[in-house]
Amino acid sequence: MWPKVWHFLSFGAPGVLIYVCFVLAPIVISFWYSLTNYNPFNPPISYVGWENYFLLFQDKEFLTALKVTSILTVIVVVVPNALGLGVALLLDRPGWLYNALRSVFFTPVILSSVVVSIIWSRLLDNEGPLNTFLRFLGVENPPGWLSDPDVALYSLASIVCWQMLGFCVVVYLAGLQGVPQELLEAAQIDGAGPVRRFRAVTWPLLAPSLTINTVVLLISAFKTYDYVKVITNGGPGAGATATIAFNVLATGFDANHVGYASAMAIVMLLIVAVVTAVVLKLLQRREVDL
Amino acid sequence: MRWVRPSVALVVGAIFFVPLYLVLVNVFKQGGKIASSPATLPVPPTLDNVVSVLTRPDQLFWVSLTNSIVVTVLSVIVLIVLSAMLGHYLARTRRTWTRVLTLVLLAGLMIPPQVILIPISDVLRIAGLMATLQGLVLFNVGYYVPFGVFVFTGFIRGVPVELEEAAVLDGASRSQVFWRIVFPLLRPATASVMIFLGVWIWNDFIDPLIILGPSQGTTITTGIYRSIGQYQADLGSVFALMALATLPVLIFYLALQKQFVKGLTGGATKG
Repeated sequence: MWPKVWHFLSFGAPGVLIYVCFVLAPIVISFWYSLTNYNPFNPPISYVGWENYFLLFQDKEFLTALKVTSILTVIVVVVPNALGLGVALLLDRPGWLYNALRSVFFTPVILSSVVVSIIWSRLLDNEGPLNTFLRFLGVENPPGWLSDPDVALYSLASIVCWQMLGFCVVVYLAGLQGVPQELLEAAQIDGAGPVRRFRAVTWPLLAPSLTINTVVLLISAFKTYDYVKVITNGGPGAGATATIAFNVLATGFDANHVGYASAMAIVMLLIVAVVTAVVLKLLQRREVDL
Repeated sequence: MRWVRPSVALVVGAIFFVPLYLVLVNVFKQGGKIASSPATLPVPPTLDNVVSVLTRPDQLFWVSLTNSIVVTVLSVIVLIVLSAMLGHYLARTRRTWTRVLTLVLLAGLMIPPQVILIPISDVLRIAGLMATLQGLVLFNVGYYVPFGVFVFTGFIRGVPVELEEAAVLDGASRSQVFWRIVFPLLRPATASVMIFLGVWIWNDFIDPLIILGPSQGTTITTGIYRSIGQYQADLGSVFALMALATLPVLIFYLALQKQFVKGLTGGATKG
């Protein structure tokens, strides 16, 4: 009933146009930059082919960033998912106490990552509340949570986990609401204990929640930037917490190696696209219809 | 054994709450005491920190607040209009080409902003929009339109097309049909889009940092970031600034808590 061309031009085109201008075209431009030695302060631009990509995979700094990003992503995908499920099972009861606690867990989700970063960098400071508390407990040399290169990445990952936990809790709680009571009762009558009931009934039915949490955590962990910028600025030491997302902007804007930074960005895009597609496929295969 | 679950829940919740507690008590504590005793209750409480942030000579808080409100409100309004219309087109036209278009838009949900920020800054510079609020709004609209479309398309599929046909027979124009009849039915979707995009854009850090640049004003988040350097010695003001920056979003969340959860739930059950 809608004339097709008119419908597209008046309803579809404005949104598509702005998406093309601000997302698709920049990706194409980025790819073009990545094949050049573009540096705004060092013209002229010349075409260098795949050289930036070859350099990238011999660049120790980039390989470190790849490792840092992978560790961070694995921790941030697994921990809030697991703890979130635990907390959701704990809070899956009616009553004011559980309602209030749900709000407590969700609050960090709506905080700005800058605010979260500042709070935690105070908390984890060498002379901050956490170490003061540890010394009070009798620990003589509490770790430098953010100043020790071996520990800083794990501290950073914990901070991201803290902020994302509430998201997982709410999604799992919603999933738990969708588990039919009759199924659980039927399983109980058949003699299944709480663990068996969880494994055989609840967990398979939570598959869509697991999918959502995993994909959201994956995408947001992979582009971790704000926490690194605010808390450690890539340090301590030689890029102990510098993620790829952080290095792309540091190389492109601070060091002005735009061509090289663009190659990094394109590699980053490919990794996130492939990993997300594979994970999504695998997880959706688990989902069952009731 | 009925006390086991509530006590475990309470202990876990309390541990989780510690960082938030630190902000709450330190906002109302004298600056000097924050470093020496960060965890104690503020006795006697003081409003000095809040007042000093609100009355800074350079108006950092007020300027940032205004910028954040302008950017968030404009971006969200434009996003709702554009993605509802695009969603309508995609939901009502079933062709191979619309299916491809939907996939291309969905792919946008996972594109990290870092991948496009370098060329974006060149594009905006050429258009004369770099370091302007308009530039940031345009970028937000382009970057978040996939999310809006994702929410609206699914919802519009559930609105019977017969409703639109009947209105056309009664002589309504096509945009009247959409804005007067379909759009009011999309309220839950509009609420989800408004809530999520509102919070994301308000809390966004990297895009205003790059697009607004160092000289041209700050939003709430980049304002806090720039002030940590200046405030090194004055922790009380940092905490007060963070609390004030969070207040609007917190009020927004508390007012729309049910819709917030419903938005997440809708996604979780539909998969």
